[in-house]
Amino acid sequence: MDGLPLLPAIFLDILGSAANIAFSFLAWRYARLLTRRQPDNFVWGYLYYVTFAIAAFAISRAVGHLVKQFLLIAGRADIWMDISSYSGGFNSLFMISVAAVMIFYHKGVQAYEALDLEAGKLKNANRDLAAAAMQLRDLNQNLEHKVEERTEELSQSEKKFRHLFSESKDMVFFSDADNRLVDMNDSGFQMLGYSREETTNLLLADLFAYPEDIRSYSGMLAQDGYIKDLNLAFARKDGSPISVLLSATAIFGEKGEMLGSEVIAKDLTRLKVMMEQLAASEKMASVGQMAAGIAHEINTPLGIILGYSQLMMDEFEAGSEQHQGLQVIERQTKASRKIVSDLLKFSRQSGSTREEVNLNEILADVMAVTEHTLSLSRISVHLDLGKGLPSITGDPEKLRQVFVNLVNNAHHAMLDMGGGELFLRTHLHEEGRSVVVEVRDTGHGVPEKNQARIFEPFFTTKPVGQGTGLGLSVSYGIIHEHGGAIQVESPVHDRQGLLQGTLFRITLPVEDEQKQEISGSQAGGSI
Amino acid sequence: MKSTVYRGLLFAPLLLVLLLCKDAWALQTHGSSEGIVVHQLAHIQYLGALAYLFWDIRRSSFTGVGWVYLQRFCLLMMFWNAIAFIGHFSQMSLAEGAISTEDEYLSALLLLPVTFGKWVYYVTALDHLVCAPALFFLFLAMRSFYRSVDRDKREEG
Repeated sequence: MDGLPLLPAIFLDILGSAANIAFSFLAWRYARLLTRRQPDNFVWGYLYYVTFAIAAFAISRAVGHLVKQFLLIAGRADIWMDISSYSGGFNSLFMISVAAVMIFYHKGVQAYEALDLEAGKLKNANRDLAAAAMQLRDLNQNLEHKVEERTEELSQSEKKFRHLFSESKDMVFFSDADNRLVDMNDSGFQMLGYSREETTNLLLADLFAYPEDIRSYSGMLAQDGYIKDLNLAFARKDGSPISVLLSATAIFGEKGEMLGSEVIAKDLTRLKVMMEQLAASEKMASVGQMAAGIAHEINTPLGIILGYSQLMMDEFEAGSEQHQGLQVIERQTKASRKIVSDLLKFSRQSGSTREEVNLNEILADVMAVTEHTLSLSRISVHLDLGKGLPSITGDPEKLRQVFVNLVNNAHHAMLDMGGGELFLRTHLHEEGRSVVVEVRDTGHGVPEKNQARIFEPFFTTKPVGQGTGLGLSVSYGIIHEHGGAIQVESPVHDRQGLLQGTLFRITLPVEDEQKQEISGSQAGGSI
Repeated sequence: MKSTVYRGLLFAPLLLVLLLCKDAWALQTHGSSEGIVVHQLAHIQYLGALAYLFWDIRRSSFTGVGWVYLQRFCLLMMFWNAIAFIGHFSQMSLAEGAISTEDEYLSALLLLPVTFGKWVYYVTALDHLVCAPALFFLFLAMRSFYRSVDRDKREEG
């Protein structure tokens, strides 16, 4: 018989069945490993069940086929006929199971995917949140850094302005809306003579020397919001006025209400005194020139009057009325010549000698002459003569006259008070180029209005007949002739505060400067 | 009281069936042809399930060679189901005596003349040429997934 051999199909059936078992179990094995590696992954779980069902199906089918083939080969078709229904039944059952698992579990996978999608969204949201949190943290860190930077800048700025405020040599203070002093720098306290503890209830009104000044100050601030270079007087704690140049700015609130003011005040007292002294100096120079002219003009006729009166006296018998009259003329002419001589000294046109002078010795000489008189007037003398004081070059007689004048003035100032103290002090100036002599009394002092005039010729506060008003003028002229300066201070500023009395401070240059000054004045002319 | 009435109403039909039955109409007999019908339906169901899985994998746009292997498994398995389905019908339609097993089983012949039905039977009897590669692709797919996961783990670790 001819036909197509079925042997290939039989062998293929045997081999294919075995291969099916092998491949399906290998697939199931890897699926199982997957589920162990990632137990939470639903997809791997699904594939595990699918491969499991396929493996079961492969077993049922392949075993059935193999059994069939081997039974038929062995010629036991009868057995196969008995079990083929069961084999086929299992085969169908497992095939249906594979399909069911594939579909139903896949629905589960879809549910898982939906959940996974939502979880992914949540994860993304979490990631976004984390990123936002990170950005926020960076922002915070950046903010912290910036805050630190700004704080440092503010601190530096605060230090700078605090230093400016506290170390300023001018008075700086703040006041509130009720014109109460809120804060003031040390220079302010020093200028006013208060201590910091005393300013808790200090009002602006306490600072201003004159009530009208506080009114104009408040008015200007309210009107313009600032004040620039207002010259007025502040009152120190002891009541003495000080001249200040004031600038102020009003501090306004958000609603435009005035909260207070910030003020800077410069002490002009010394400047004012200096200006007055400068003006006085110029005035003295003019007066000196005038006095010198007058003296020269008067000196000649006085000489003629004196000469002729002396000649005429020889013509008359002594004791006669004419002789006595001529004696009066002679005496008054000599007095006039003394005045003229003084005027020439003031105008620095009298003759001078030049020699080395020790001021301590000069002062000792002066005290030797005046001490007795002073002690009679109950004036105690305190000598504080600097040791190793350098000599100056000058006219000892003229300088002696200067100090006699000053001691006499001090004597007169304290005479009315029934006594007092006289302080004489010499010392080398800080710069070492001049010697300072201070003559201080504890008398009634020199009123401020007179301080600029006391060196004027013929200015005196003594009663008529008790002084010519030339003493200080002559002293002024002599000191200036020596290239020095004479200053007056009343009341006296001391470390202890303001002291009653008057201080004359004479500064005389040592060595070259002083010599040049003297030679310069001599070159200008003399009598 | 109400619940007792409801329980009575629920069990009443059951009691009627048990007490008043004459013929067991609910019991159906299963002839010998039912086996092949069920088996063929199972093939259709299996094919449908594979088609659904194939469609869903493509729709899901999974990436990775494992999913490609899985798609190939689906296609080959669907093809095998179709072959098996046809093969079963061709076997049933094969006339008695079309195969000679006179000598022994291993020398069995599909007797001439070879008709279309016989050719179909012969070709479909070689279904393992499709079935085994399909399962091989399933194995490749699983192994690929595992290796991918293993690699990710190692990279993370």
